[in-house]
Amino acid sequence: MKIADLLGKIDRRIIFIVLTVVIVIPLISPIGFVGRLSPRVHDLFKAIDELKPSNKPLLISVDFDPQSMPELYPMLVSILRHSFARNVRVIVMGLWVTGVGLGEEALTTVGQEYQKEYGKDYVFLGWKPGVSAVVLGMGRSIKETFSTDYYGKPIDSFPMMAGVNNYRDIPLLVTLSAGDPGFNTVWLPYAQARFGVRVGTGVTAVSAADAYPYLQTGQLVGLIDGMKGASEYELLVEKAGYSEAFKPASQAMDSQSLAHLAIMILIVLGNVGYFLARRKK
Amino acid sequence: MAIATDLWIWVGALLTLFIFSFLFGDNPLYKIGEHVYVGVSVGYFISITWHNFLYPDLIVPLFRQGNLLYIIPTILGVLYFSIFFPKLSWLIRIPMGFVLGYGAGVSIPAVLQANIIKQIQGSLLSTQVLSRWDSILWYVVSLVGIVCTIIYFFFSRERKGISKPAAEAGIVFLMVGFGASFGYTVMARVSLLIGRLQFLLRDWLGIIK
Amino acid sequence: MQQRIPLAICFIVGIVMIVQFFIPHRLSEQTFDLAVKWIRIITAFALVLGVRSITFRSIEKIKRQKKDWFYSIFTLLGLVITSVIGLGWGVKAGTPLRTIYNNIMVPLGATMFSILAYYMASAAYRAFRARTREATLLLIAAFIVMLGKVPLGTAISGKLPDLADWVLNVPNMAAKRAILFGVALGMIATSLKIILGIERGWLGGRRR
Repeated sequence: MKIADLLGKIDRRIIFIVLTVVIVIPLISPIGFVGRLSPRVHDLFKAIDELKPSNKPLLISVDFDPQSMPELYPMLVSILRHSFARNVRVIVMGLWVTGVGLGEEALTTVGQEYQKEYGKDYVFLGWKPGVSAVVLGMGRSIKETFSTDYYGKPIDSFPMMAGVNNYRDIPLLVTLSAGDPGFNTVWLPYAQARFGVRVGTGVTAVSAADAYPYLQTGQLVGLIDGMKGASEYELLVEKAGYSEAFKPASQAMDSQSLAHLAIMILIVLGNVGYFLARRKK
Repeated sequence: MAIATDLWIWVGALLTLFIFSFLFGDNPLYKIGEHVYVGVSVGYFISITWHNFLYPDLIVPLFRQGNLLYIIPTILGVLYFSIFFPKLSWLIRIPMGFVLGYGAGVSIPAVLQANIIKQIQGSLLSTQVLSRWDSILWYVVSLVGIVCTIIYFFFSRERKGISKPAAEAGIVFLMVGFGASFGYTVMARVSLLIGRLQFLLRDWLGIIK
Repeated sequence: MQQRIPLAICFIVGIVMIVQFFIPHRLSEQTFDLAVKWIRIITAFALVLGVRSITFRSIEKIKRQKKDWFYSIFTLLGLVITSVIGLGWGVKAGTPLRTIYNNIMVPLGATMFSILAYYMASAAYRAFRARTREATLLLIAAFIVMLGKVPLGTAISGKLPDLADWVLNVPNMAAKRAILFGVALGMIATSLKIILGIERGWLGGRRR
């Protein structure tokens, strides 16, 4: 009776403390769990790795905001490092107005890290309203949709944009997507299905399970799922010798593991308490 | 590693703590943080919209280049403000009709292609599937799952005969799908918390690398 | 007239946008380009309406001293200061707007979502019960993904990540695809109803 009560009525403040502790301790004193690479993350890495400096630029859409930054920002930084290390030119844009600052921050930081030149190696288009109109418009003409870059300069004036007219000139599009507008609500129906552009995506773990039907059909070339996927991408970039920089998502994986374990134990305890109490009745 | 000396990091850390204070219940600090966030977000939105769109894509072509083609959408857009004049408020329906008609029109072929035709194609048997015994087996399981789940969602007829066990099998697939989504949701929420604790421990307190 | 004109515009624009998809003619492409350009401009005005709404609501709250009116001052201050700074000094890296973004907006936004982890853990403990066969299945699938997707799962057994991948690639994919079919058909039906004027909720007021 007492055990059932105890297990079934753990104070929520204890749950809060347990969760904080299992996250903080591995951050201070890492355990060093080694995970396994997901084939979906590897597929996207490979798709970017196959791009050549002579290719037309990679297009990255920053479709998230600060609320999902811990999951998606490390992906953005790793993909930029991967591209710049391979001298692949990059165009960055965003469909989420409040995420524009994150896109620019990552692009300027990583651009400086690899001594890349704005306009020659990368361009930041910023944000425009209209979502589907922006994505559809780019399929007809990128220059008509984004007449100027984020800084107000005509995009015609950048050497790397010469010959980049629409999706036909984009070998790969990567959308880092936290919801709507995102990979499944905008990019797949309006860019992939209509104009045939190759799309890869990095998503918050919340929406990762929804990406699987599109992976099976090949509509998505690869998937980075949440912070775990981001940590795998960081490791892939490091293993290939493209970067030795700090890996925030990888640092979090021990905490992530222990937090999952703690939540599972809590669910089990709750169930044990429930069934003991029910048997008593 | 040492505690941050940058005043702005302290501002960020304190605001983080303001929001975390909600764990002890709704309180003035949380409310201040929440309201500041709304205000700053709207201010940021105004700034980006002006610099990224209104000025280069509307003001310049319309007033500096005299591109008359921009007058019609501008008038349509301005009609949104008719809502503030009760006698003219019906005019707001004109831009709404345009936007809804456009949205509905472009979405029909797009959704049909991306979410129906391509998904049906993906459910068809391919030579790639036939190359291995396990892929054939999982293909059959997936197909059964898709069909049974669709049957489960078919509420127009009473479930009799084969449709009853099929719908029950559909529930099994749905539950596994929802379970997978739940597992991923736990992962997502934990990741976001780790991200904030990393900020506090690394950028603010300098305890971790 | 107040209903017929908007309905006619909706119908014509909708039909034109469907037809242009199937007819790759220069005229249809030009129409498409024009519509896409116009929509972006019209949408921007709708967004302005949203900004006006939140501003006036806050002012109204302060004026009438409604419950928690004091906090609306922070909303207004944040809005005015950020817009003045953004409009005056620009939006580039290194401008005051970016300092506000990085040090106020990012921490507040990121933390707001992060506290959900605590409530989710607490709610899962309290409400996630294996009462029925279906709930048990859901729980098992969730545990497999939660373990198989993190390094701890690999440490427990090398088979766990494979099992998680199977759950996601086979039963999860099947369920999500079936849901996708339903959602897609629903979207198409709703879009058709809007174009054909059967769905008129957006007109507001009484239905005729």
